[in-house]
Amino acid sequence: MTASTAPLEMLAGADRVRRYAPWVLLVVGVAVLQVSYHGEPFPRAWDTVISDPINAFQAWARSNRRTHPLFTSFFTPLSRSIDWALTSVEGFLQWLPWYVVPGATFLLIARTRRWWPAAVAALASVYPGIVGLWDETMQTLALMAIAVFICLVIGIPLGVAAAFSRRLESVMRPVLDAMQTVPAPIYFIPMILFLGIGRVPATIATVIYALPPIIRLTALGIRQVDRQAVEASTVFGSSRAQTLFKVQIPLAMPSIMTGINQTIMMALGIVVLATLLGAGGLGQEVMDALQQRSPGRGTAAGLAIVAVAMVLDRIGASFADTDRTHHVSWRATAIGAAAVVGALFLGSALGWSEFPPVSDVSILAPIDRAVIWARDNLSFITRPFNDFMVAEILVPARDLLTEVIAWPVLIFATAWVCWRMRGWKLAAVAAALLTVVGLIGMWELSIVTLTHVVAAVVLSVLIAVPVGIWAGRKPRVEAALAPILDALQTVPSFVYLIPVVMLFTLSAVPGIIASVLYAVVPGIRLTALGVRQVPAEALEASRAFGATDRQTLFGVRLPLAAPTIMAGVNQVIMMVLAMVIIAGLAGSQGLGFEAVRAVTRTNTGLGFEVAIAVVTMAIILDRLTQAAGERLQPPSA
Amino acid sequence: MSEVCIEVADCWKVFGGRDVDKAIAMAEAGAGRAEILERTGATVAVRNVSFTVNRGETFVVMGLSGSGKSTLVRCVSRLTDPTRGRILLDGEDLTAMDEATLRRVRRQKLSMVFQHFGLFPHRRVIDNVAYGLEVQGVPKAERRERAEEILAVVGLEGWGNHFPQQLSGGMQQRVGLARALAVDPEVLFFDEPFSALDPLIRREMQDELIGLQHRLQRTIVFITHDFAEAIKLGDRIAIMKDGSFDQIGTPAELIADPATDYVREFTKDVPKQKVVTAGTVATGPKSETANGRKVAATDTIEKILPALLDDPSPIDVVDDEGRVIGCVDREAVIQMLAT
Repeated sequence: MTASTAPLEMLAGADRVRRYAPWVLLVVGVAVLQVSYHGEPFPRAWDTVISDPINAFQAWARSNRRTHPLFTSFFTPLSRSIDWALTSVEGFLQWLPWYVVPGATFLLIARTRRWWPAAVAALASVYPGIVGLWDETMQTLALMAIAVFICLVIGIPLGVAAAFSRRLESVMRPVLDAMQTVPAPIYFIPMILFLGIGRVPATIATVIYALPPIIRLTALGIRQVDRQAVEASTVFGSSRAQTLFKVQIPLAMPSIMTGINQTIMMALGIVVLATLLGAGGLGQEVMDALQQRSPGRGTAAGLAIVAVAMVLDRIGASFADTDRTHHVSWRATAIGAAAVVGALFLGSALGWSEFPPVSDVSILAPIDRAVIWARDNLSFITRPFNDFMVAEILVPARDLLTEVIAWPVLIFATAWVCWRMRGWKLAAVAAALLTVVGLIGMWELSIVTLTHVVAAVVLSVLIAVPVGIWAGRKPRVEAALAPILDALQTVPSFVYLIPVVMLFTLSAVPGIIASVLYAVVPGIRLTALGVRQVPAEALEASRAFGATDRQTLFGVRLPLAAPTIMAGVNQVIMMVLAMVIIAGLAGSQGLGFEAVRAVTRTNTGLGFEVAIAVVTMAIILDRLTQAAGERLQPPSA
Repeated sequence: MSEVCIEVADCWKVFGGRDVDKAIAMAEAGAGRAEILERTGATVAVRNVSFTVNRGETFVVMGLSGSGKSTLVRCVSRLTDPTRGRILLDGEDLTAMDEATLRRVRRQKLSMVFQHFGLFPHRRVIDNVAYGLEVQGVPKAERRERAEEILAVVGLEGWGNHFPQQLSGGMQQRVGLARALAVDPEVLFFDEPFSALDPLIRREMQDELIGLQHRLQRTIVFITHDFAEAIKLGDRIAIMKDGSFDQIGTPAELIADPATDYVREFTKDVPKQKVVTAGTVATGPKSETANGRKVAATDTIEKILPALLDDPSPIDVVDDEGRVIGCVDREAVIQMLAT
């Protein structure tokens, strides 16, 4: 007996060691580091290690742009051809009689017998003209068209290739992950380095930003094609190309169309930011409005972007609807097309391409007045909220993290959490990246930004989870919320800033509120989705045992929805991070402000340093929330 | 003896794992799947299967889920490459063929019907049926005409312009069958084609397949998890378990003489007298006391039972040319029914 229980006891002892050792390590490590490093700032040993060579390269690039083969044989021709394409498309759009736009919009959508959406989209497509932004809209459309076209030409073949080659997929996945983790404006910095400022770098930055969804969804669509359909094609002796073009691509079409749609939406989402690179168009209008603190003008331009988004989204959706059985007949479509083309030639012959001047249809003044009224009359709410956030939360949090807790403790604790959640690889990567961030002199700025990010994420989650649960349980609530969420998501993030900046004083708070408005949407959506997707049988089983609503919610619904809710939290964090830099435009200190400074002063070295800091934060937060989501997943077979 | 159409020799399929050779060596030494998976990370789906299928024969592979039967049929049609072993079709080694040759053989000789139909939802029924001809490059008018004919054969005349998802499950599988028949294949693979159908439709489809096979006389490899279906359709049946065959035999052989307890488990519920034939239980030479009574070797026990009950003396069993091959008596029948 003793012989057999002794190893068991030893095993239990070993088990206990295994269970408590990490905690002992944490406590001892924190204590030692805190005592030995207390009060010491992060040594900026590499202050210029990154920025100097980059700035030197930039200076070199500037003086060699006309002579060096890197530019004369690659960047300059690339730049010229994109510029030519932009000019041609823009010229064509300006030449088009304006009414062709609503006509074609209506026709494309009505083809699928969705008359109302077609009519609404056609009306929406006229809106920019009514507020006097027709030319700006056409500029933006031209840039979008070229950018999206390039995305498709690159993205669809890459997606197909990734679906077939496991190796290519394993190489591409981390790249795509990184592309989506990196906040958009970070792309701008290398653009400036190689292409300077202008429409072309703006187009390329848009392409890079909008490329991942089309690649991912093409690959996903191809991979999801019913295996038996592919086998059937193979067994009848189809060549690979026959199977691809006759079976796989047609069956992946809905997914590919969704990818195109998302790519368009992402391209549109960055249109405002792209003005930092000189994209012009509607984005410039929003940016000017922000600088002049004119909510009316900003709203008018913002709505124009929403209108473009809505029209493109509807048209995209009409193409995604590949079930032709309920479409209008070919003949009717052809007649409609002929009518639009006829009108086109008639109009251009008569010189009707200008949008007719609309007098005094102005929504600008009333919006300006409303925001000013709100600023003056709501200050009894906004002022204390602002002061509370700054004085009681953000400043103490920053002081705690920079002055009270020694920096090595933060790195060690982060690495420890990464190790426990994901393993030593992430811990090593996190520790290394954080050290680099400190060494290049971004530590304090990063801490400031981190406090803003955490505040925005906490607020977003506090709103998103209860609202999401409510919406997930009550379809009617969800239906009522849907248009609001849609609108929040299509409005370019900048537009939120304008009224918020006006309502609050210049501090970190407007940036945080704008981030919350922007990021709360996926949180609500995914929470609602998670709650709704809980199998009905599990809920019935719970009820059959006599559980109360509350018991069912906390015992069955939420645990089963938890992985999806966690995915929502992950998205919230990513979107808040994407807003960090935009918030810099509203006067938030920290990395965002530095990023704006880097772009406006073309201090590319500084831009790279900010990029490293933001990407570090993004990688760590992204991987940790993903790991948390995986842990919440019930074990599968 | 009839001509061999398909010959599968020493077929193995191992999924995953770093050391396939070790996995196979372990399997040959008699290790179980779980043990091999734990030691090598590899799953042995098909282990050392060999069999032949004669021209015009319906060969059924019956096994429960996870037995490797679906993997086996994919190896034989080379939708996946077997890890080891050879697959001969009309004497040509499929495993040694390059892509182009394989494609040619497939176009000329093979087709397949799938469990979940494997139809192309973006094509109309007629274009689904014509797909095999389309990839061969048959002109549109010709292949449509052929597809219409085949649709009539499976009872779907006039449904050509519908999309598959507008049809019921049974009708969809008729489309799958029509698509397979349209290329006039030599060999048809059926991968649990009727499992997804409800029982009445399933029986109807089985009867129809029997009728079609009676007329067309194709070589069929049919996968199923339903023993009753196997008995109904199969000329010969292989019982598959954990990647290998427990027994191959005619329905009567399996029931009269199950090789393993596993096979016996399936045969237990089958009314033996309806399947076992006089030829299977016939013993010994011509009986002295047979008093001239004769039954055909292919007659079921159920059919000869009244004669045996009338008169306890043995009955002669004759083959289809009238030669006496043995006799049945009460003892043999009772023994067979009792085991």
